[in-house]
Amino acid sequence: MSDEEVQAAGTGGIAWIPVLAAIVAAVGLADSVYLTIHHLTAVPVPCSIISGCETVLTSQYAEIGGIPLAAFGALAYFLAFSLAILAAFGNRTMWTVFGVQVTLMAVFTAWLIYLQAFVIGAFCQFCLLSALTTFTLFILFVISKLRRSN
Amino acid sequence: MKESKKGSSGIPVAIIILVLAVVVIGGYLFYQRSKPAPRANTASPTNTTVANQRPQPNYATAPPGAQPPNTLGSPTATVTIEEFADFQCGSCAAAHPVLKEINSAYAGNKNVRFVFRNFPLQMHDKAYDAAVAAESAGLQGTSKFWQMQDQLFTNQHVWSVANSNYRDLFIEYAQKIGLDVEKFKADMSGMQAKSRVDQDVTRGRALAISSTPTVIVNGRVVPYAEVTSAGMRRVIDAELQAATQPAQTARSANNSGSN
Repeated sequence: MSDEEVQAAGTGGIAWIPVLAAIVAAVGLADSVYLTIHHLTAVPVPCSIISGCETVLTSQYAEIGGIPLAAFGALAYFLAFSLAILAAFGNRTMWTVFGVQVTLMAVFTAWLIYLQAFVIGAFCQFCLLSALTTFTLFILFVISKLRRSN
Repeated sequence: MKESKKGSSGIPVAIIILVLAVVVIGGYLFYQRSKPAPRANTASPTNTTVANQRPQPNYATAPPGAQPPNTLGSPTATVTIEEFADFQCGSCAAAHPVLKEINSAYAGNKNVRFVFRNFPLQMHDKAYDAAVAAESAGLQGTSKFWQMQDQLFTNQHVWSVANSNYRDLFIEYAQKIGLDVEKFKADMSGMQAKSRVDQDVTRGRALAISSTPTVIVNGRVVPYAEVTSAGMRRVIDAELQAATQPAQTARSANNSGSN
């Protein structure tokens, strides 16, 4: 366990990968909060030739049991943000939990991209932003692990 | 060293709480701002009624679509409601009961007619076949078209998510409304029904239809937000009145010149 990042953090310094992760998670959080509100307030829209966000956000996959999917996203990003912040200040356990969480998120996100591409047949730019932030979080975690093993 | 450790244990929690506060407050403010005015059947606050919509420039000259069109009401009506719809589109299914209600409300009025046009969008994999199913039903009688149209919209949530067996569901609906199923199957794969759908699509493209449902009343597109029971009544009544207005104006001018 000699990750230089976390080592630095252990001495009261700041681990930069978790900090970066926290910033990315904050972007994802803002995005999913926006999507949640958009979902809750959206007026019904017609089906458009230019298929896009509305198609995705009004699809049957946009909710689980009446709760907007984006709300789960917001919760997940908030958790990821909190874990990354705690890790940034030296809590290694939280960084491991963070790793488990973002791995699950990445898998789920892959499924959401599959849905957009092959089932709904439309992409939503804000959902793709969320996918980007999730994958970035995952990659950051992988990089931190690779560094440790070197 | 101790000092910094002690300090750093409080900072992350403070940051987390701060971000949570920002999200909650920001989210609440944004929610309040973007909360829409209640739609439904209350009077709409806008003056974006159909009168303000520019008429479709080439409404009269565009290709006519399938002939004869699927029509309810008198062919000589002064007010024509023309809907371009996609059977797999959720908003079209949502507009279906509204238009159905409007059609029965104006059923006795020989000045109002309703025309249904197929406009299956490419993004909906089963929409074209559904349109062909409706037209195939129509080949066995106008009333069968409307029954199939109703079946397709009210059961959209079933067949639109079915796998490759969705055509069997169409056949099931055909049975339910009492079609000659063998003829229906043959028409589903024949050219006649398809060609009717294609002609409607050609008309829709010429009118630059870009979304469904698009409801056009006497050449003017009714904004989707106005496609409500109250909104449609307002539009139709205004058009009915406009059609009789020249006579009225003339009459009031003869009487006293004031109105």
